[in-house]
Amino acid sequence: MRLQGKVVFVTDADGPSGRAIMLRLAAEGASLLLNSASGGADVAAELEKVRELGADALVVSADLRRSSEAARILDMADERLGAVDVLVHNHDRVVPISVETGEESVFADVMDWNAKTAFVCAKAVGKRMEAGQKGSIVFVSSIHAEKPTGMSFAYSASKGAVKMLAREAAVVLGRHGVRVNSIEFGPVEGVDSVFRSDISLLYDSYRYKVPDGVLGTHEDLAELVLYLASDEARYLNGADIRMDGGFLMHYLDFKMKKPHAAGGAP
Amino acid sequence: MSLAGRVALVTGAGTGIGQGVALMLAERGAKVALGYHSSDEGAKDTLRRIEELGGEAMLVRANVAIRTEIEAMAQAAAERFGGLGILVNNAALQLNYNFDHDDDTYDRQINVNLKGYWQCIQAVVPYMKEKGFGRIVNISSVHGKRPTDFDTVYAMTKGAIKMLTRESAIELAKYGITVNAIEPGAIRVGRQGTKETKPFVPPELAERAREERRDLRWKFPLGRVGLPSDVASLVCYIASDETEFLTGAAIRLDGGSMLL
Repeated sequence: MRLQGKVVFVTDADGPSGRAIMLRLAAEGASLLLNSASGGADVAAELEKVRELGADALVVSADLRRSSEAARILDMADERLGAVDVLVHNHDRVVPISVETGEESVFADVMDWNAKTAFVCAKAVGKRMEAGQKGSIVFVSSIHAEKPTGMSFAYSASKGAVKMLAREAAVVLGRHGVRVNSIEFGPVEGVDSVFRSDISLLYDSYRYKVPDGVLGTHEDLAELVLYLASDEARYLNGADIRMDGGFLMHYLDFKMKKPHAAGGAP
Repeated sequence: MSLAGRVALVTGAGTGIGQGVALMLAERGAKVALGYHSSDEGAKDTLRRIEELGGEAMLVRANVAIRTEIEAMAQAAAERFGGLGILVNNAALQLNYNFDHDDDTYDRQINVNLKGYWQCIQAVVPYMKEKGFGRIVNISSVHGKRPTDFDTVYAMTKGAIKMLTRESAIELAKYGITVNAIEPGAIRVGRQGTKETKPFVPPELAERAREERRDLRWKFPLGRVGLPSDVASLVCYIASDETEFLTGAAIRLDGGSMLL
């Protein structure tokens, strides 16, 4: 039980990453503060499993773009579960927006959802972790912190912002024993439709571009989140770990491994 | 490397890097629109110096957090000088709040440093498309890579500008517009746009170096911090006709200090 006695705050429990993360961490003994826009309704089955695993879970619905909301639910957690030991920020919203013709409201929405929530949570949780002189913060980010999407500059800009937030926090909070790292997660099944672009060919034949021809899953992601959250990662701080099976290492389309016969070619 | 016949818009042209950039663009023959907001004395100073050089410039006041003001600024420049081919995004806030930004100061800084850069790009694209030529230079910072340890949100905006630059580069390429970023390190901006040739080192660093009997190359491999003119000469190069194939790049300009 690698997280026995630890309280973990997952900022978006409803998405696919949130579901996988809550199950994996609960299995390792963590108590969970779960922020769910649906109030838990969308993840009823997962919550059931979490409770079967014997884990304590507090489900809340907060707008984490606002500091007052973050403070409110952290106070609730303090009372019900104890102080938060681990923050997992996994807010992730992709909305198409072009540099040339994009609307300001879309830009603000994507930036606020992906980057402002990250700042608000890191600040609120960071202050509390300072008091205990320990903690771990994990930002679930994307390979698009480095690689342009060709369809949403606001998305990649928000991920570039989170990358620098993680590095700042690694220095500022690092002085108080808090480790801060980010995961630049790569392609999972179906991601080509999320990032459909007229400009970038990145996701054309994306299954081939992972050298082994096998895509990642949110369970793979949860495994790395667990490691970064645990004390085993005590010397990891300020790192951005690209987890994409080597996807971004492809150059043009040369020498790609074709998927196995059963692998389902695109 | 002449920029004769080109029209440039420089935001934040009343202080430091922006002033140095505007001066050199004008020196090389470009007509320059001087965007400014709070530094009107500085902007007038930039204008006066350009006129002394025999160059041509105009003042345009705009708050880059406000889209309508940005659009008016671009339009005024294009109308007066007959087009717009070069944009230097430079106006930015540095609030020195470290991790203590409240929600409002967070928004303020994002709106100027990031949304402002994007919307200035949006505003100039139509004029660049018209002529099939565009050079956009985003002044970022080495803090797009390394934390500042004095202003978290500032670093976030610089990390975001790197991606805005890359996205804009691939999207606007079809119009003959290139988009690049410069990441300056420590630049002396105290004395506005002064054309200095003497090496400069901040007094506190010089003092420490003396105490510890170290060469200044301990912090700055080239023995000095940067000057606005260092940034300006790279901007002029990127803005020239010689850089057709350069786009989406972020060029670190710090005299090598990040390598130490």
